Amino acid sequence: MSLMKNNILFNLLFFVCIGISQSIYSQDLLETLEKEYPDTPQYEMATFKATRISIGHSVENRKKGVLEIMAMNRFWNLPNNEKSQSFVADKLSTRLALEYGVSDRLTFGVGGTTLDGIFDSFLKYRLVRQQKNTKASPFSITLFQNISYRGKKGYKNINLYDSFSDRLAYTSQLLIAHKFTSQFSLQISPTYIHRGSSRFNEDPHNQFAIGVGARYKLGGHVAIASEYSHVLNPLKSVNTYNAFAIGVNWELSDVMLQFQLTNVRGVVEDAFIAQTPFNFNFNDPNFVFGFNATFALHLNQKKNE
Amino acid sequence: MNKIIVLLFLLLSFIGSSQEIEKVIARQGHVSFFSHTSVENIEATNNQVLSIIDFSKKEIAISMLMNAFVFKKSLMHEHFNESYIESDKYPKATFTGDIIDLEPLEIEKQVKLIKGKLTIHGITKEVEIRTSIENFNGKYILSGDFDATVKDFNIKIPPVLAPNIAKIIAIKFRFEYEPYEK
Repeated sequence: MSLMKNNILFNLLFFVCIGISQSIYSQDLLETLEKEYPDTPQYEMATFKATRISIGHSVENRKKGVLEIMAMNRFWNLPNNEKSQSFVADKLSTRLALEYGVSDRLTFGVGGTTLDGIFDSFLKYRLVRQQKNTKASPFSITLFQNISYRGKKGYKNINLYDSFSDRLAYTSQLLIAHKFTSQFSLQISPTYIHRGSSRFNEDPHNQFAIGVGARYKLGGHVAIASEYSHVLNPLKSVNTYNAFAIGVNWELSDVMLQFQLTNVRGVVEDAFIAQTPFNFNFNDPNFVFGFNATFALHLNQKKNE
Repeated sequence: MNKIIVLLFLLLSFIGSSQEIEKVIARQGHVSFFSHTSVENIEATNNQVLSIIDFSKKEIAISMLMNAFVFKKSLMHEHFNESYIESDKYPKATFTGDIIDLEPLEIEKQVKLIKGKLTIHGITKEVEIRTSIENFNGKYILSGDFDATVKDFNIKIPPVLAPNIAKIIAIKFRFEYEPYEK
């Protein structure tokens, strides 16, 4: 009897030992590799696909050596103009621009807009990048500063045009974005606009606005984007309305196409954020169809090791 | 008698588990892929691929981060991760397999078949890869190449861009192993 007991005990011990050695065997090799990954921070990529959400700047920069050639168009019709012979749309405003990635974080751009003959130049710096799987850096933050020069008198003359500096306007933006999921990103953009001159004393020289923009990806290449910006102290001498846009972004390799339904006609920040003359609806001349085409040229290609 | 047999088994099982330490690891393995079409050639390299071989079981595992692939065009890196491979959802590509008839102590270059499971974009496929294995005084080098079909891994390519991306992607790899210590 005691022998049997002994036997059982030994057999048990035997199976336990075999079991232990087996469990060491079947330890997953992939799990071992999992622990070998270095602890380097992983950054969120493509919070937005393009440097514009739809009409306004996104936190995104192009990488070093990438030159973007842009044509940003706005089309609208005049009211009571059914007999118009104009092709597609009565009015067109286009900004042609070159925007270059000086470094992975810094972009420099210059552009010219046909409407009001605005020339603009900007610097955009990616200050903070959102990190994955950590609370250390939950946001992407980009600083934006532009300067624009009005070549022609605008739709409503709110500026002086006597000297060079009278025609200037400056826009500063703090772009703060968070990528919630691989589909959905949201951006808040506190904005400060300073105009070099004002024809009417009642108009503020310095204006503040809050912009909100979001995108939702429908698939790998297509996203819906929308933007709204609220001006805290609008102009007094003329009626202005807050900028709104909703549209579709379509990315095709080196080309980014952005279509918008909007009320903005200007393309440069100070013009469309603070000086949009009509509210958003589908009547003429309020309704504006926008179309941005961006072509990315890789001038400074990385060596592939 | 019974006890002796059991003790023998115990001893054997411990010998078995001591052999199991025979593992080698590669921490900076190279994997690159090529897509050749008449429109565009796309090439990308990942130099931070992890791989481990267990000689006792003749098993191999490979794991890599998809966003560690470096492209000539920076925008292509973004598109690859964002639009094609969806590295937010599927950050890694992995492979586990058996090296058929591996001779760990062989000094001559040996060409062996690896049978296993390749997982890319969350989809697992059975593959067979011919691999050459070299042994320089215990420092093993594994290299080879194989083809993968884009469609197999449910990677969506919009019709407009179909001419730019090859249907079959050529993949090359090279791993240098050193003894694995925990």
